[in-house]
Amino acid sequence: MRGAARLLRTTLLAALLGWAGLARAQDAALVAALSQAQVEVTTGFSGAGLMVFGSTDQPIGPGGDEILVLARGPTRPMVIRRKIAIAGLIWVNGPAARFAAVPGYYMITGTRPAWQLLPEPERQANGLGLDALPLDSTGARAPAFRRALLEQETASGLWVEDQTPVVIEGNRLFHVRLPLPATVPTGVYKVEVLLVRSRRIVARQPLTFRVDRVGGADRIASVADDQPLVYGIICVLAAGLAGWLGSVVFRRG
Amino acid sequence: MQVYLPIAEMSVDAVLLIGIGFGVGWLSGLFGVGGGFLLTPLLLLIGIPAPVAVASGANQTIGASVSGLMAQWRRGNVDFRMGFVLFAGGLLGSVLGVQLFALLRRLGQVDLAVSLFYVVVLGTVGALMVMESVRAMRRRGRPGGRRKLHEHGWAHGLPFKIRFRKSRLYMSVIPPMLIGFAIGLLSAVMGVGGGFMLVPAMIYLLGMHTAVVIGTSLFQVVLVTAMVTLLAAIQLGTVDILLTLLLLLGGVAGAQFGAAMGGKLRGEETRALLGLLVLAVALGLLWDLVRPPVQLFSAQREY
Repeated sequence: MRGAARLLRTTLLAALLGWAGLARAQDAALVAALSQAQVEVTTGFSGAGLMVFGSTDQPIGPGGDEILVLARGPTRPMVIRRKIAIAGLIWVNGPAARFAAVPGYYMITGTRPAWQLLPEPERQANGLGLDALPLDSTGARAPAFRRALLEQETASGLWVEDQTPVVIEGNRLFHVRLPLPATVPTGVYKVEVLLVRSRRIVARQPLTFRVDRVGGADRIASVADDQPLVYGIICVLAAGLAGWLGSVVFRRG
Repeated sequence: MQVYLPIAEMSVDAVLLIGIGFGVGWLSGLFGVGGGFLLTPLLLLIGIPAPVAVASGANQTIGASVSGLMAQWRRGNVDFRMGFVLFAGGLLGSVLGVQLFALLRRLGQVDLAVSLFYVVVLGTVGALMVMESVRAMRRRGRPGGRRKLHEHGWAHGLPFKIRFRKSRLYMSVIPPMLIGFAIGLLSAVMGVGGGFMLVPAMIYLLGMHTAVVIGTSLFQVVLVTAMVTLLAAIQLGTVDILLTLLLLLGGVAGAQFGAAMGGKLRGEETRALLGLLVLAVALGLLWDLVRPPVQLFSAQREY
């Protein structure tokens, strides 16, 4: 974590110093980068934070340009079930709505909330905001299912909307932290930084990073996936050995 | 200290897991049972998904039972012939149980099924234990009628008889196979070893010689939970080895302390307490089923 912070500082400094020349060389009005290209999920993983930072050629902030940052994790199929009372007595899972592609992580923030920066049709078309997420479902159709999915993902910290605004430094430099909770799914994450000028998106820069399991956690999960029989045998033997060893170590008298 | 469980795909406090393992191990040492029936509900309570809780619970039961089995084996208290007959039934039961579990997961009714199984099985067993031990406590001091060694009933008319020398039985293989089958099924769905049901069944239903009951039941429990672990790893992919080992770390220590303390309790009191504990777990789970849920909706990953 500290290494990442140092890296961020040096990168920011380099960006600041080398900026004037670089910006003129490109015609893109926007340049952005991530503090890390990879987040490692180790056995001790308890969440992480990633910095998105960048700069523009014109002043950002009130009256000037605005920045939106959007991040999406890999999608996965989810099913939302509603509990019903059988005979008014026992609560069981009843009707279900299946969502084929639910982003495992979704974050949007900006110098201001997206709905203030863009006209509604444009915001909806770009999927900017939790209410603009395209979520196709089969099964039960009531809007309450979609709302429940939203609540659950927001409560778990995997879907984040306008939690902390993008910070502007000296009118040109901006940065914001992507909070990744301990439960983030592994895979490729897509980050998009949008430059908004006069209620229109005038530039966008796509970025990606990966969340990977590494070390013991990764080895365990990949053996369990690729060679389940071997993994099962290891589990049986490990438990037996641990039980036997423990009884030897802790035997009293 | 948070650890990331690779199969459950979540972070849990390692100290909490070791603590749960210790507590359950202590109780199981105290009462001389495997403790799986306490462990799985506790894991569900701290938010471990039911499939992972059940499979890892079965996995940890291997570890919790293996040292007891070795001790009984050394003393020659395992009837292997009876053990293998029980296991033949258990094998069938666990294969079927894992299929049932996979089906329930597709239907989204795993949590309900696991809870219902617990309520029915633990409720019945707990109530029987409490009643039996209260009767025994009342009878104490009074000269009771002598019990027969075992009943000669319908089971003796069945075919495929073999001699179980250590159990001092000459009987059909069908009743022990049926019992093994039932325990295997419960093991796969509930993540328990099933010793708390197997032992009474061996004594009262089969009429086995009591000296070999504990050793033989441990033999069957270790084999069946190993089978359930293997099948769950292959077919469901829900065995979390890190979860298992953390639970065992606390469990084996707790079991030794519990066993040291258990020697000071009288048999009837111990059984009454265990019965009350089993009943309490059943009632807690029943309450969870009947009270209006806090969250009407639940979101799960689709399999």
